[in-house]
Amino acid sequence: MKLLTKTNRIYLTFSTAIYLFAGLAFYQVIKILIYDEVENRLKVEKRDFEQYLKIHDNWSSGYFVENKIEVSPVTGPIQAAEFFTDTLMRSRYEDELTPFRQLTFYATIGGVVREVTIRKSLIQTFRLIEIITATMVVCLVLLLIGTFWFQGKSSGRIWHPFYETLSRMKNFDLTHEKPLQLDKPEIDEFEELNEVFRKMGEKMQHDYRSLKEFTENASHEIQTPLALINAKVEQLIQHAKLSETQTHLIEDIYQASRRMARLNQGLLLLAKIENHQFTTNHTINLTELLVNKLGDMEEMIHYKQLEVQLENDTPFVVELPPALAETLVNNLVNNAIKHNHAQGQIRLHSTPQQICLSNTGHALISPPERLFERFKKEGTGPDSVGLGLAIIKEICTNYNLQINYTVGDGWHQFCISS
Amino acid sequence: MKVLVVEDEKGLAESISEYMIKEGFVCETAGTFLEADQRIYLYDYDCVIVDLNLPDGNGFQLIQSLKKMLTTTGVIIISARNALEDKIKGLEIGSDDYLTKPFHLSELNARVKSLIRRRNFSGHTEIEFHEILVQPASRKVYVKGQLAVLSRKEYDLLLYFLSNVDVVLTKASIAEHLWGDNIDSVDSLDIVYSHIKNLRRKLLEKGCTDYVRSVYGIGYKFGLS
Repeated sequence: MKLLTKTNRIYLTFSTAIYLFAGLAFYQVIKILIYDEVENRLKVEKRDFEQYLKIHDNWSSGYFVENKIEVSPVTGPIQAAEFFTDTLMRSRYEDELTPFRQLTFYATIGGVVREVTIRKSLIQTFRLIEIITATMVVCLVLLLIGTFWFQGKSSGRIWHPFYETLSRMKNFDLTHEKPLQLDKPEIDEFEELNEVFRKMGEKMQHDYRSLKEFTENASHEIQTPLALINAKVEQLIQHAKLSETQTHLIEDIYQASRRMARLNQGLLLLAKIENHQFTTNHTINLTELLVNKLGDMEEMIHYKQLEVQLENDTPFVVELPPALAETLVNNLVNNAIKHNHAQGQIRLHSTPQQICLSNTGHALISPPERLFERFKKEGTGPDSVGLGLAIIKEICTNYNLQINYTVGDGWHQFCISS
Repeated sequence: MKVLVVEDEKGLAESISEYMIKEGFVCETAGTFLEADQRIYLYDYDCVIVDLNLPDGNGFQLIQSLKKMLTTTGVIIISARNALEDKIKGLEIGSDDYLTKPFHLSELNARVKSLIRRRNFSGHTEIEFHEILVQPASRKVYVKGQLAVLSRKEYDLLLYFLSNVDVVLTKASIAEHLWGDNIDSVDSLDIVYSHIKNLRRKLLEKGCTDYVRSVYGIGYKFGLS
């Protein structure tokens, strides 16, 4: 749920409850006030009536026309001295019931105790209550809508820097040189938040950069001593007087240094791809490149007695830096040859949407989903450094290509699709 | 043939120059930009091997000033950076080849020789080794005047051998020479063996002496000794 929807919802429920309560309370208060007023007037009239009796000791119904006074004989037991009740009476002119408030008391008229009821119409006051209530309801609803609208607007504005920060954070890419650009909002909390994010972003980029530089520098620096070892070993093996054991020792040193060089080159390449150091993309026909590479590796393929099938070779075209396309194809083909068994097959299937290179081979030792991880080796001896597939994966992810691996029926298939 | 090695790593410069001297070159070394600059100013070289990262300057500058003075000198760049931009830039300012460290001395040697061949005789030179005659321009090989039909890789292999006579070549260096740097399979070493076997057979068929020797399984040597 969105932040604004949530606050609006809470606000709406809460204020509706408050307004309802306030409306009811208001209605009750007005009603009490009006009743109080009417009752007071009834009491005044009762006094007037008693005054009149004191003087005349008689009651003619001609008096007090407006305030209906009814004098009737006492029926039943005499109750409390006076009491108020609500009643409905039929109007004299219009055939409808109108509410009245009445005061009943007992008076001695001409020596006889009579029940006297003084009534006062409530029709006016009821209308008053209705109008007041209606006006109030309208006002409250307007107020509710108004504040609701206003609150929506104002919180939209207040939270704007927050959403702005959020979207900038989403677009932030720590691999790019561009620092995290954030506004300086008026609200202190948001400014603090942005400040924290800015510092974090800077730190992340800095760490990323130094890590990157370290990898690169380390790899570069390693190349020269490796070249030295290689050169010295090459010189060493030229000596005729070496014994067989010595040659074996030298051979091992040589192999290890070659492997290290290869490893180092692989890591450097990965770092360069990650750092987007290959800039110029070209339109490359990957199918043609793969077919050429398979032709180039003819001797290898022939040596392992592999059979190559080219199926449906409609070109699959990609946008890649040429050097990386070369690496991609090299690694794919090397992989298909290396992990093949003798007299196996290699199949190339290409459509404009995707290109698949499949090879027969032994079942995987490691789980397929970990195949593209660095240093994941399938036990092909000391000459393999386990970076080939990681490099393929890295190239694909950095240039918007999909790489999929499927296995079945003794076939291993790598598909690249755009 | 005079070669100048510009490389700040002393051990490496020594190894290269020793290897070159054994191959019959006159070889000098320079460890700094300044020294190299002076040498190319004072002497003429057939080939200059330049490391791009020098403690007191950039190899590119050196190549530029060299090319201003003498255009016939061949230039091979050796660099720890395997960057396409560097290769392109190197070629643009007049270098002939680019080798990424670490490299095989035998590979460097083969490149130097091929470069000098191309420069001095525009490729129209023949390579002769006893009864073997190679015409690089037409990629043809003759043994005692008879044409020996070799496959593309066998031809490359023979040329590599002829560039490194009497030198032990490791199997890895042969494999990389034939299939490029990316070759990284154990199979490649076996296939080197099978190619050498085929080359040997084809040469022997034409009555050639067997010059190829296996050296303890570390590599092969082409030559008489």
